[in-house]
Amino acid sequence: MSLGAIAIRPETASVVGLVVVYIFFAAFGGAAFIGAPGWSSWLNIAAEVGIIALPVGLLMISGEFDISVGSIVPAASMTAAIISGHYDWPAYVGILGGLGVGALVGYVNGFLVTRTAIPSLIVTIGTMFVVMGLTLGLAVLIKGSTSVSYVPDPITKSLLGHFINGMFNVSIIWWIAFAVAFYYFLHISPMGNWVFAIGGDRETARNAGIPTRQLTVGLYILSGLAAAFVGIAQLMTYQSAQVAGGQAFIFNSIMCVVIGGVLLTGGAGSVIGIVLGTMTFAVVNQGIFFSGLDSNIGSIIIGALLLAAVLSNDGFRALALRYATKKK
Amino acid sequence: MEDFHMKKLSRIAASVSVAAIAACVSTAVMAANIFVVGGKPDDPFWSRVKMGAEDAGKVAEAQGGSVTWLGPQNYDNLGPDAAELIRQAIDQGADAIVGPDWVPEAMDPAFKAVVDAGIPLVIYNAGGIEAADKLGALNYVGAVDYKSGFAGGEYLGKAGHQNGACVNTLPGAANIEAFCSGFNDGLESTGGKGSVLQLPATAYGNATAVAQAVRAHLLQNPDIDAMFAIGGGDTNATVSGIAQAGKSGQVFVCGMNFDDSILDNIQQGTQACAVDQQGYQQGFFAVSILNNYVNYGVTIPTREILTGPGVVDSSNVELVIEGVKAGAR
Repeated sequence: MSLGAIAIRPETASVVGLVVVYIFFAAFGGAAFIGAPGWSSWLNIAAEVGIIALPVGLLMISGEFDISVGSIVPAASMTAAIISGHYDWPAYVGILGGLGVGALVGYVNGFLVTRTAIPSLIVTIGTMFVVMGLTLGLAVLIKGSTSVSYVPDPITKSLLGHFINGMFNVSIIWWIAFAVAFYYFLHISPMGNWVFAIGGDRETARNAGIPTRQLTVGLYILSGLAAAFVGIAQLMTYQSAQVAGGQAFIFNSIMCVVIGGVLLTGGAGSVIGIVLGTMTFAVVNQGIFFSGLDSNIGSIIIGALLLAAVLSNDGFRALALRYATKKK
Repeated sequence: MEDFHMKKLSRIAASVSVAAIAACVSTAVMAANIFVVGGKPDDPFWSRVKMGAEDAGKVAEAQGGSVTWLGPQNYDNLGPDAAELIRQAIDQGADAIVGPDWVPEAMDPAFKAVVDAGIPLVIYNAGGIEAADKLGALNYVGAVDYKSGFAGGEYLGKAGHQNGACVNTLPGAANIEAFCSGFNDGLESTGGKGSVLQLPATAYGNATAVAQAVRAHLLQNPDIDAMFAIGGGDTNATVSGIAQAGKSGQVFVCGMNFDDSILDNIQQGTQACAVDQQGYQQGFFAVSILNNYVNYGVTIPTREILTGPGVVDSSNVELVIEGVKAGAR
């Protein structure tokens, strides 16, 4: 591959960003950060936000936002805890219940976005607050408390809440599996091009015969399922579901996606980019604790990275366009 | 409700003398509409405070009054948001207001507006009697955060774990800072030393973020053997972070508040102690004091009603679990 061809790959900027922050924190963080404790530390963080960032990224490529993931995480976690912890049903019933909540919210999001003229940002802020209120209200109604504890059976625990070597959360393996599945969907299966086409120009995409509505609804359901999965995994890991929490996933998932080179207005991006963006985000987030620097500096670096990512995306796109024209 | 009072008063005024009105007002049932400013209602701790406030509110309701809970949507902008809620309570015609003095710089002007409007005020949960005195409030109801943190530090220090770190997931909030400085002073009172692990605001409520931060901090500071967490969810996450750092049985944790899983951890020995500020009591007494004051003019001469700290450890955890089952804790 020529230098120009490498430069126009959408992931190039993401790789550069990841390498730079890793070297920066490796210099400060020392042996613990470079070794297995450091890797597991940021991979654990990356896995959870990464599982959510994948479908959020695909939605963004197709030109839509999903804010509601922030309330699906605790809603699914609480649903599973109430079904399996409070009512003592088997773990798989609780898990299916939690995933069902995620799929349902995703379906409602997709339905509202495709059937009304309301921007997805507003739709999903709305559903986020509705779900947040329902979670709180139902938890207090059923359990009389805003936290429900649940001790999963050993098999469930080992699948969803186990630490391999006492360090690496199994969610890392799930994240890899999700990433492979999403890679196939977006870059290999024919439906992937539909996602890009919708994000580029929805009208043209529909005129070209792409089932835009079904695709958008499907992406929202995926996003709801992924957020629910993370909520359930957190329940199995920490053995306690809280009504609050999960809000951090909203901005964090968007930041991972944008740092990973996805175009905010849709039409461009890649699964590898999203994974790299997530890793970059997690390295900064955890590196700060290994470095001994003030934790607020972490927020500054993430903010700066976000801006740099958007700027460099624009730069790379301009470069790519110029390169493409020159080749002709 | 204001209209109702006015009509009633003017009707009475038409028939009886001014002296009789004064006597009447002081004895008549005055139906107190009490506004309580507190945390997010979905915060596990605050839901218990809210329940206490609403239970005391049943008496207020039986007397024709009401209790209204005002909580922020999130804690991103805590001081200004809470100050805004206090002003909302004034605007909505509160007969009495309960509020925590979380961020004095941002909230004290709003509390002064309450007192200037002649509305009886009780400070609870945060600020201590100093805040109540400074603001002209009737009383302070709550655990003193500093003493709660101190109790945790002293407990761990006396057990021989003297190199501590306080996990602060809400840097900048006065009560959380007080937990941490109390914890460090408690450790120092036994000859130990303490520090603070500050997390960015984005970690709040995300158990994985807290656990991984704790773990990284322990790996970088292998001498630490005592930790303090500022809430129930944070404590569970801290316990997990310690286990992931391979430090179970070497690093001992005390945390504020408790839930089922924390009591379970205390029983199993993965958590040393929980410091309880008994939130239910804070809501209950604050509302009760104001309701009785507005309706009957009675006061509580004891100033600074302490609701904590109470330490829960392996010696009394069984009793506390019974208390939870009975709905008292």
